[in-house]
Amino acid sequence: MNDADNNDDINDLINALDGIDDVAYDLLAEELRRAAAILDPVPAGLRQIAVDAFALHDLEARIAELTFDSVVDAIPVRGATDVPRMLTFHAGGVTVDVELSAQGLMGQVLPPQTADIEVLSGPQAGSPLTTDDMGRFTHGEPPVGPFALRLRTGGGVLVTDWLTA
Amino acid sequence: MDRADVGALVQSAVDGDAAAWKALVEGLSPLVWSVVRAHRLSEADAHEVYQTVWFRFAQHLGRIREPDKAGSWLASTARHESLKVLKSLRRLTPTDDPQLLDRVSEDRTPEQSFLDLEEAAAETERIRHLWQEFEELGDRCRQLLRVLMASPPPSYQEVSAALGIAVGSIGPLRQRCLRRLRARLEARGAV
Repeated sequence: MNDADNNDDINDLINALDGIDDVAYDLLAEELRRAAAILDPVPAGLRQIAVDAFALHDLEARIAELTFDSVVDAIPVRGATDVPRMLTFHAGGVTVDVELSAQGLMGQVLPPQTADIEVLSGPQAGSPLTTDDMGRFTHGEPPVGPFALRLRTGGGVLVTDWLTA
Repeated sequence: MDRADVGALVQSAVDGDAAAWKALVEGLSPLVWSVVRAHRLSEADAHEVYQTVWFRFAQHLGRIREPDKAGSWLASTARHESLKVLKSLRRLTPTDDPQLLDRVSEDRTPEQSFLDLEEAAAETERIRHLWQEFEELGDRCRQLLRVLMASPPPSYQEVSAALGIAVGSIGPLRQRCLRRLRARLEARGAV
């Protein structure tokens, strides 16, 4: 037997061992999947909320996309705690600026215009707000968890991207 | 979930088919949950991010450019939303979830009912040990393995979207993490 054959044999052996390893690892991965299904499954209540979220599917409304979020786009001020979170949404020519703080939510529709606004926290109807003539609005309760704004303006319905407050 | 199926279900859901939407939720919920859990959010934050992801998916449904990649879209959205929540100031304290092992869900899955049987006590013990050793792994391995635990198993494209790592590095990293986990189990004499 020459060296080349010898090497081939060794390589075959290594490949075979790797193959055994692959099977063992796949089994281990499968066992982990089963462990997760038992110890950390998707809570059934949450799954139902996702099923009900189909009601949010609305092709009529335009989406106002998040273009600025101080959580990711701003440099934090050293030592400052409890700074309001600043958000900006855009859709077509309309901008919605929003500020979230422990005191609640305030914002403005630009260019200034009146709008009927709903503060949404899920598929169900949200709390209604109305802007003043300058497009400004306030809401005394800080949103908790998922939230979006639905705005009815002269130019149609806008819904902001969903965020986690 | 099979990509062709996902693409077709998304299309049907866009057309208003609630059953198709429900099938998407059933098939992809475990992936979204696994991504959120991989980022070690607290229980409350995990619930909120999971909801935000699905609300945004419902909202963007008709506008998703590659419907057959909806799984990757969800995984990527779950990742970004998780990272954002971790970054926001009021949530600076990382939360461990030490009660997880003691927690018994009220919604019994077939697996859980199976575990109720007395002869399955040893199996329960083994799964708890496995989970404990998994929890002790380094961040990278724990994160990767948690995402891979989604059921049905996620594609590597989905894992890549979930963790922001290259598709090509997932296989080798997975082997390495499973090797480490097995070494831990062997050291414990639990294999």
